[in-house]
Amino acid sequence: MMIRSVADARRPALVRFSVDGAPVEAPRGEPLATALAAAGHLGLRESPRLGGPRGAFCFMGVCQECAIHVDGVLRQACMTPVAEGMVVELRGVP
Amino acid sequence: MSHVHDLAVIGGGVHGAAAALFAARGGMDVTLLERGPLCREASGVNAGTLTMQMTRVALIPYALKAHAMWASARDWLGHDVGVVVCDGLSLAFTQAEEELLTFRAGKRREAGAPIEIVTGARAKEIEPGLSGEVRVAGHCVVDGFANAYLTGLAYRRALLEAGVALREETPVSGVRRETDGFAVETADGIVRARRLVLAGGVWIEPMMAWLGIHLPIKTLINQLSVSERIAPVMRTVVGIANGLLSLKQYPHGTVVIGGGWQAVGDRERGGVELLPERLIGNARLACHAIPALKRARMARAWAGLEAETADALPAVGPVPGVPDAYVCGSVHSGYTSGPYIARLLADHILGRAPEMPLFPIDRLLAPGGAAVN
Amino acid sequence: MTEAKDVIVIGAGPAGANAALEAAGAGLDVALIDEQPAAGGQVWRAPWPGLERPPASNEAKAGDALRARLEASRVDRRFGRRVWSVTSGFRVDALGPDGNEPVTAPILIAATGAHERVIPFPGWTLPGVIGLAAATVLLKSHQVVPGARVVVAGSGPLLAAVAAGILKAGGHVVAIADIAGPADWLRAAPAMASRPALLAEGAGWTLKILAKRVPIHFRHAVAAAEGEGRVTRVRLKPVDSEGWAGSRKAVEIEADALCVGNGLVPGAELSKLFRAKHRYDRLRGGWIPETDAFGRTSVPALIAIGDGAGLSGAAPAELSGRLAGLAAAHDAGATDGAAFARLAHPLLTERARLAAFADASAGMMALRPAQVAGIAPETIICRCEDVTRAEIDAAFAAGARHVNQLKHFTRCGMGPCQGRMCGDVAAELLGQRVGSREAVGYWTGRPPLRPVGLDQLIGDFDYADIPIPKPAPL
Repeated sequence: MMIRSVADARRPALVRFSVDGAPVEAPRGEPLATALAAAGHLGLRESPRLGGPRGAFCFMGVCQECAIHVDGVLRQACMTPVAEGMVVELRGVP
Repeated sequence: MSHVHDLAVIGGGVHGAAAALFAARGGMDVTLLERGPLCREASGVNAGTLTMQMTRVALIPYALKAHAMWASARDWLGHDVGVVVCDGLSLAFTQAEEELLTFRAGKRREAGAPIEIVTGARAKEIEPGLSGEVRVAGHCVVDGFANAYLTGLAYRRALLEAGVALREETPVSGVRRETDGFAVETADGIVRARRLVLAGGVWIEPMMAWLGIHLPIKTLINQLSVSERIAPVMRTVVGIANGLLSLKQYPHGTVVIGGGWQAVGDRERGGVELLPERLIGNARLACHAIPALKRARMARAWAGLEAETADALPAVGPVPGVPDAYVCGSVHSGYTSGPYIARLLADHILGRAPEMPLFPIDRLLAPGGAAVN
Repeated sequence: MTEAKDVIVIGAGPAGANAALEAAGAGLDVALIDEQPAAGGQVWRAPWPGLERPPASNEAKAGDALRARLEASRVDRRFGRRVWSVTSGFRVDALGPDGNEPVTAPILIAATGAHERVIPFPGWTLPGVIGLAAATVLLKSHQVVPGARVVVAGSGPLLAAVAAGILKAGGHVVAIADIAGPADWLRAAPAMASRPALLAEGAGWTLKILAKRVPIHFRHAVAAAEGEGRVTRVRLKPVDSEGWAGSRKAVEIEADALCVGNGLVPGAELSKLFRAKHRYDRLRGGWIPETDAFGRTSVPALIAIGDGAGLSGAAPAELSGRLAGLAAAHDAGATDGAAFARLAHPLLTERARLAAFADASAGMMALRPAQVAGIAPETIICRCEDVTRAEIDAAFAAGARHVNQLKHFTRCGMGPCQGRMCGDVAAELLGQRVGSREAVGYWTGRPPLRPVGLDQLIGDFDYADIPIPKPAPL
């Protein structure tokens, strides 16, 4: 699980969004992959061929491991800022 | 004196590979020369569609036979090339498309393709993922697709097992007539054979020039794109009446979008550049036909070269004025019909009467037969 | 409506941003495109929009300064745009919040950067295992530590930076595993001394690590990451100076996060897309375009700079950016030959002075063939398609002699990451069989340059507007 460091950083106000139906809070605008990891959601999906658990790996938009469904569309979580009311489904592509 | 093969096939796509395979199984000593890896040009990068609904009327009887070969590839080729046999739907969204579709489906049906026109509602029963805006559709149960990039792997093993002397990564720079056959010039030396098949796809034109024949072959540069693996969104092969869409989803989940949108390139350089407006146009047709695709991502696009003669019919048969030389290719939907057409030519070369007529190229040459280059 | 510019720069890291500033300073109309919300690339990545932090490090200060210079300039900044297609002329298509935005210019500067190389090991795909560069993003740009008990492993300067960064943020580094040994670092020291500020920074990291008594395992690599659904244990194995696994006992560590990286791989995406001439340069990270001193490739008006064109580090990249901007201004006719030469000279001299440090740094990160040769057969190489080393070996046995053929035989590289995560290692595996990296080549560059949502690509349209050709012959 990731830990938000407190020293010296100022974060926007928390917003609420849902992850597989359950509520999660994170500062507005935080990259979704980080917000999920801070909330304990390290596993985001399964690999399409062998079904192994996968989570964000590169955090810079390259590896595609964090591609999950956000408001019904497939988006890379590391490139998606958290917003109020966002609906997140941890099921990857299939 | 170096070894003289019975047959040299130049060009390792599906036509050349199948011709070499059946000739070898018929007892001939065969060599196949391919400048790159086997089946990596058109045969390795096309959309893999095995449909009657985009096949020319004159080729329908051949495509039907070839479809049966593709469907049974595991038996005669030893590899199923990922073939999926399924229904095909050719869609009409407008009045004009409906007229075009009805007319063409009728002609194809007369030629033997089991195509019937169904309502949009019926089409949606056959393909639940279909758009609700379809007016009518051509429905054919003899349809499906192969996984083109597996073609090389499939033929390679079969060719080696049949005893074909397979020469990949062996570009041919020219061919000379000799007393008892042909001398094929390569960087590794001369390869000799009594008979010759030129199966070079878009490169048939420069190959024929080796023999002093001027056979113009147009090079089409087709764009294709593919999604990443996604949940099932379709279960048929989908096209549009005007022909600009081919769409299918593979068992492993990727959706391939094709339809003959033209990229930039030529026979010398290959497919050099894909045009964004055309990738977008192709994707729009795909999403219009199967709306669920809008939730997917395009993962990659590429280009493949396709050969076309002046009358868009095959170049298959003896080379006029050059005994023991044959040409095989530029079939138009050549991947679909390739294995059968190549087998016909192999039969002819083996001295057996081919089951169906070949497509002699005399009709494509300047009056007076072979033109001197 | 397609906008026309004098120069388009793709990539707003140290190289690209400086190229844009220099060209705009010479009076050219410059567009600078990047998919991140702000300039800085990876090395000077900004905090995500809304997050505030004081600029604590040299890198943070440099990034803030660069962003300020851009704000004050006339550069047309297009951030949050994902470039998916680039065609000759040049035309650049980028997807933004309002859909597809084409823009054209006669001169294109490619500064798309490098991505991380991770040598696969069993369990590297487990959630909780992330890259070293990924860890720097979390630390610098998100102000987050990767876990409660973090192992930091791999090779190169990022190791100490990440470990120290975690410690500074109040996190707990339970172990560091460095493929290199102290002798390797000592060997590199003289060259690194040519950049005293950076050397001091590195020394600072080392002191912090030593002060916290973090166990450092030199000449160790990750043998495996283990856990149910996420990493909970990391096993390290001793390796020799080339990277071969030794026979001494493995070290087992309880950890909930593993940050691992083995250097960087230049993207060279646009130069490959345009089929420029490339060469394989192991020190510079892999296949890179052949360029002149200003980044001009063998494709007219295509300039490639920064780590994406060959690993060199941030300071040399800045200079390369300025040199490219000057070259663009000259080639566009805005600067005469004499002025160009006069302005370029000090930059070329300074960049040459930095070369020793850049080479030493790159050397610490370069691919170690033994490490790839030692990958166990059942290890996943291609993450997107779950292709194992055994399958790659089988493809070679079936006749694959080039990475394009390897792709066709195994689907390795066909997934959405477009071969970025696996490409260097897959090519090394095949290259070791075939005999050289040159022989096995690289994957053909094609659009889309990144996966793009079909919904974004198609936008709003009427079916009737889609061009329909003459019917095909019946």
